[in-house]
Amino acid sequence: MHTLTEFPRQLLRLSIMLLFTLALASVALAEEESGARGEGWTPQGEMATSVGPVTADTWRQVRDGQDFIDTRADSTYNLINQSGEYWRQFRDRWISPGGLIAIGGVLAIIVVFYLIVGKKTLDSPRTGRTMLRWTAVERAMHWTLASLFIILALTGLNLLYGKFVFRPLFGDGFWAPMISGTKLLHNYLGPLFGIMLILVLAKWLSINIPKKHDLTWFKQGGGIIGNAHPDAGFANAGEKGWYWLLATVGLLVVASGLVLDFPNFNQGRDTMQWANMVHAIGSLGLVAVALGHIYIGTLGTEGAFEAMKTGYVDETWAKQHHNLWYEEVKQQADTAPEDVPGDKGVEDGTAKAHRPN
Amino acid sequence: MRLTKKSARPAGQGLGITRRQFLQRSGATTGGLAAAGFLGNSMMQRADAQEKTPVSDAAIETKRTICSHCSVGCGVYAEVQEGVWTGQEPAFDHPINRGAHCAKGASLREHGHSSRRLKYPMKLENGEWKRLSWEQAIEEVGDKVLELREKHGPDSVYWLGSAKFNNEQAYLLRKFAAMFGTNNTDHQARICHSTTVAGVANTWGYGAMTNSLNDLQNSRSILFIGSNPCEAHPIAMQHILLAKERSNAEIIVVDPRFTRTAAKATKYVRLRPGSDVAYVWGLLWHIFENGWEDKTYIEQRVYGMDKVRDEVAAFTPDVVESVTGVHEAEMYDVAKRLADNRPGCIVWCMGGTQHTTGNNNTRAYCILELALGNIGKSGGGANIFRGHDNVQGATDLGLMSHSLPGYYGLSEGAWQHWAKVWDVDYEWLKSRFDPTEYADGPPMYSNGITVSRWIDGVLEQDENIAQRTSLKGMFYWGHAVNSQTRGPEMKKAMNQLELMVIVDPYPTVAAVMHDRSDGVYLLPAATQFETTGSVTATNRALQWRDRVIEPQFESRPDHEIMYLLAKKLGFAEELFKHIQVNGNEPLIEDITREFNRGMWTVGYTGQSPERLKTHQQNWHTFSFRTMQAEGGPADKDYYGLPWPCWGNAEMNHPGTPLLYDTSKPVKEGGLTFRARFGVERDGISLLADGVYSEGSDLNDGYPEFTAEMLKQLGWWEELTSEEQAAAEGKNWKTDLSGGIQRVAIDHGCAPFGNAKARCEVWTFPDPIPKHREPLYTARRDLVEKFPTWDDFESFYRLPTLYRSIQENDVSDRYPITLTSGRLVEYEGGGEETRSMSWLAELQQEMFVEINPALANDLGIRNDDMVWLEGAEGGRVKIKAMVTPRVARDVVFMPFHFGGVFEGESLASHYPEGAQPYVLGEAANTATTYGYDSVTQMQETKVTLCRIEKASA
Amino acid sequence: MATMKFMCDAERCIECNGCVTACKNANEVPWGIQRRRVVTIDDGEPTEVSISVACMHCDDAPCIAVCPTETLYQRDDGIVLHDKDLCIGCGYCLYACPFGAPQFPKLNAFGERGKMDKCTFCAGGPAETKEEEYEKYGANRIAEGKLPLCAEMCSTKALLAGDAQEVADIFRQRVVQRGHEDGAWSGNQRRERSRRQGASVDNLAYDATRQG
Repeated sequence: MHTLTEFPRQLLRLSIMLLFTLALASVALAEEESGARGEGWTPQGEMATSVGPVTADTWRQVRDGQDFIDTRADSTYNLINQSGEYWRQFRDRWISPGGLIAIGGVLAIIVVFYLIVGKKTLDSPRTGRTMLRWTAVERAMHWTLASLFIILALTGLNLLYGKFVFRPLFGDGFWAPMISGTKLLHNYLGPLFGIMLILVLAKWLSINIPKKHDLTWFKQGGGIIGNAHPDAGFANAGEKGWYWLLATVGLLVVASGLVLDFPNFNQGRDTMQWANMVHAIGSLGLVAVALGHIYIGTLGTEGAFEAMKTGYVDETWAKQHHNLWYEEVKQQADTAPEDVPGDKGVEDGTAKAHRPN
Repeated sequence: MRLTKKSARPAGQGLGITRRQFLQRSGATTGGLAAAGFLGNSMMQRADAQEKTPVSDAAIETKRTICSHCSVGCGVYAEVQEGVWTGQEPAFDHPINRGAHCAKGASLREHGHSSRRLKYPMKLENGEWKRLSWEQAIEEVGDKVLELREKHGPDSVYWLGSAKFNNEQAYLLRKFAAMFGTNNTDHQARICHSTTVAGVANTWGYGAMTNSLNDLQNSRSILFIGSNPCEAHPIAMQHILLAKERSNAEIIVVDPRFTRTAAKATKYVRLRPGSDVAYVWGLLWHIFENGWEDKTYIEQRVYGMDKVRDEVAAFTPDVVESVTGVHEAEMYDVAKRLADNRPGCIVWCMGGTQHTTGNNNTRAYCILELALGNIGKSGGGANIFRGHDNVQGATDLGLMSHSLPGYYGLSEGAWQHWAKVWDVDYEWLKSRFDPTEYADGPPMYSNGITVSRWIDGVLEQDENIAQRTSLKGMFYWGHAVNSQTRGPEMKKAMNQLELMVIVDPYPTVAAVMHDRSDGVYLLPAATQFETTGSVTATNRALQWRDRVIEPQFESRPDHEIMYLLAKKLGFAEELFKHIQVNGNEPLIEDITREFNRGMWTVGYTGQSPERLKTHQQNWHTFSFRTMQAEGGPADKDYYGLPWPCWGNAEMNHPGTPLLYDTSKPVKEGGLTFRARFGVERDGISLLADGVYSEGSDLNDGYPEFTAEMLKQLGWWEELTSEEQAAAEGKNWKTDLSGGIQRVAIDHGCAPFGNAKARCEVWTFPDPIPKHREPLYTARRDLVEKFPTWDDFESFYRLPTLYRSIQENDVSDRYPITLTSGRLVEYEGGGEETRSMSWLAELQQEMFVEINPALANDLGIRNDDMVWLEGAEGGRVKIKAMVTPRVARDVVFMPFHFGGVFEGESLASHYPEGAQPYVLGEAANTATTYGYDSVTQMQETKVTLCRIEKASA
Repeated sequence: MATMKFMCDAERCIECNGCVTACKNANEVPWGIQRRRVVTIDDGEPTEVSISVACMHCDDAPCIAVCPTETLYQRDDGIVLHDKDLCIGCGYCLYACPFGAPQFPKLNAFGERGKMDKCTFCAGGPAETKEEEYEKYGANRIAEGKLPLCAEMCSTKALLAGDAQEVADIFRQRVVQRGHEDGAWSGNQRRERSRRQGASVDNLAYDATRQG
């Protein structure tokens, strides 16, 4: 009970019943502590004590969900679900505003960065010679995953913030189908996203093994700090960071999402509360980071978007951003001149991009 | 109650007809105006689209009815629109329940909607249920009955009636059986409170609850022994808790189980099952030891207490502890609480009555209250909570094998009295019976077979039965066979019968538990919400029920079915001589009026249908505390004219709220103890000594009133000349004019005399109640000291075993004591309540309560499936509920389940769509032999069993 | 403006489940959903206490706060209702509710729970017609000037419903009438203990009444 009373006023105001519970149980505690009733009790005080309490122990048990039975026996329910309040507070007071701050913050940084630094252009002119960077299969996977991510992000955000925006703006006639569509999309596409993510992670595992030079890359902020371009292989350290973020947080979000999405395994309400918090924090974080990824992949870097669009990059671009990869490809080309990248079509998607590291 | 794993949807969903179809049907069968209005209404289309009761703007008719589950008698406002029961509102103005309901009462409206009903007459033909028309069904059943009567005599057919009948139907079936020529008729009172009726009536006159539920509010101590009102009579708790809150009444619960009632008690005592007499004697030992008995009261109003003292002297604290398991300090504590808090009352139910020693138990309870001087006082009394809604009424109206209506018995005088009331020739009546003389006497005057023993009535060899042959045909007219012991033998008996007829709104377990493929008929009866009539609550108050809805499907009210059968069997004319029959339906009010003319013994004479309807329309005028009307059309009447309501209706007697309460004039509901047992015994007067009811002209004890006595007192002239003509040579019980009663009451006297209550019933096997060990007992060491009786050769026409069963020690193979009881959601055998989805959802599985220690000993965990085997080999496969509610050596099963037999589901045996939502093993499959030595009450509360974990 | 509340007097509740079936009677919610339930603590032990629980119609209701769609809302009289047209079955109200009030008809894969259902204090819910209201939410007794059927039918008058002030008054009167320190939320053990401690603690509420 003490822990309860420390809680903010919302809990105290939960209901008359809870109020009674609190008052009574604290009386119980008081009496328990003082042992016996002292002199000088006011009539009001006596009134309160005349409401004899269920023992504090019992209420503690109630809170812990022990020793009680229920006419509705599917018992992930407690008589008093205390954790629900923690969940609510955490979600409404921290996660919701936190998410807004994170996403808004990243957006703001990007805008400022764009305004100040602008698009990172190629240092030298394009050579006109291109190199295969992403096969058709890879691009298809990327875009599928990206689309799913965006849908899930938008629907997720709608679930969290939509009611403050769309319902007042467009009214129930719009809001009701919108939000139920949102939930349907989110719940059915979520598992698909999970599958795609795992495929993509598997596919790109080999190119994302961290290397020593990646550390330098980070030290130089990917080239922002200082003038020189840090060394980078097929995937630079930033890309690897994104990969591993998805491999950890992303999978966590997927896993927690599945816990929420499949309540039919009788998992407890507490489990789902935890899952929900993990899911919300993780996904909001990913959305924030994804904004950076999107910026860098589109507006931020000349030539990056076309790589994922066409699969080919100009040699200049490769040299600038992925010098080690470029060199390696070159080396291979020298030893195997008949297989000069870009010389023949690989549109069938069967050819392999060159990925030495 | 704790629930175990539940199913997400009702079992067998999709069977039966949908509510939508029901609505069409009810429209179609209602006929006439209602149907036209209904079908023409747009409600119909909406009903197509939904499962819920349709919302309608049609005019609401509000009907007043009474809950048909337990005997508390809760009032209900039923709202009906165009023939559909669309609403149920709490009757806040009802003097008994003030709008309150338990789970059963709060779901009454589902009676108008559940499709799990027997819908039309059916018969079993080559193992298949075949639909019949009513004409066909009556024709076939009637022919078979006539054939059996011809071949084996009228006693070969058994008419098992029901406590679910209203008073009129109960009376009519008794009369029906009489005119068919048999005493083989009975109803559930036999297995409910027969030992109470016998024990209590033989102590002080009437065998009913002395006070009322409302009067419990005035008690200062209430001792519950073998009663669990929280589950069995929940609305009584409203009054009990008021007593607890208002006057700090001691609520003492003595029970083998820590019941829900115990959870609300101020004191709980755990008792070894079957040791009630020893327990009461243990209390009396302390009461006598400390001089807490009410000496003046005993001297003036009690006979035979000295003999009780002698018996009690042997029950010293150590003996009591050994027999009951209750320590001396606990005994003293309870005795002191009872002594310090008077007036107090005692409440008992099946836990006290359903024993081989039931009659001893009930008398011991009475003696305890007599010693404390609690009887005949507000707040005191022996408050026997009856079971079914009308078990009190059906008992009063004689639907029993040993009496005619009004406890007149079966003597020639009784028959003549009723022949006169019925206006039939006595000789004709006599001719209806088997002309042979039985071992117990002429069939007309000898007790018939009881409901508890029909099984033996079928199975026993002809030469052992005191009638011409064994039973060949059974009518189960509103009876749950699973509420009876010895399931496996019952099944055998059913297989052996030539004819089984089940008349019920539901198929009941009787329809499914046998292995027959032919010779079973199902006749759909209407519920009490589909007919009208009076019902007697546990406090002896009669209440009138409106017809809420028309009989559903093709069901017909019971009295209509009786008419159809009587017509077929050829005595309708005599049966309905003074009862108007409209179409095929006898007029209920005429039946009421007819029993009003004959029920003088218990004062069912003043409750005319008109007075009852006035009460029904003026619930709000009656006090919640006293039950008395304050002003209004029923001014000064007690609610429901609790019997005895003396004289005829014109006398305007207000009813008797408290039996034997001398503080009020008899005219205003006062009473004395009844002079039922003569005037003296062994030279000692049995009449009251110096006490009399307020305003009595006779200031001492007096015998019961007769014409002769009136003459001696010089009061004869106060009769009118017509009354004199009718009363000549009669007494207060047989004077059809009511004159003798009127004059006695005018003089402030009780018509039945003013006597002492007696502690010694010299006509019973144990004149002073004795503790006797149950037939199946785990305490073999006590058998020698407290043995049961010797076997009876012929008792209610059947040999009845005691010693030969007890002698056989099975306690090593069956070491665990088994007891049984109720759950709040279900009623009786549960066939009706398990067919109500709102209730069935709350209790979906049969279980057995096992103490954690015993469970550990047996290697059983909560929710495991176990096999429980009774001492006679009946086995049930049920779920274990591990709980400290029961003691280590006792297990408990609820008895409401049925439809599964020894591990095998009988679901497929039900007619399509008529199977209850919930089926389960019947507890009584595992219960054993054992019958009370006075009434043939079955033993359901103590037997032995073994339990083992079920492998799968 | 009245503030509607439920209050269950545990000293009176006998676990008869009358409230549960009364609710079914009034609202006809399907098999599997019980808007009200009775919870028993320490079942079968001397401290056994039962209490009937449904939606408590909280001020600052957690369910309203967490609902992503604003399905849940509070009326001026404090009754918390839900709009089935808006419900997407996400289950958040269930996570947040302290009393396990919200329930869902289904529990299938992909979060298919169906539309949430919970006690409406017998005040129906948003709908165009009476028929629609009954179909979706059950009875609207409040509109007819009646209280929830569960409380009206409570077997021992343990379950009280109505304006919070009146409910509190009734309960206070009971406590005074009981005149025991264990007048309300008691366990029997406690009562026994006070009995052993002697009469000094017995009549406190009586004093309270004497002094107004």
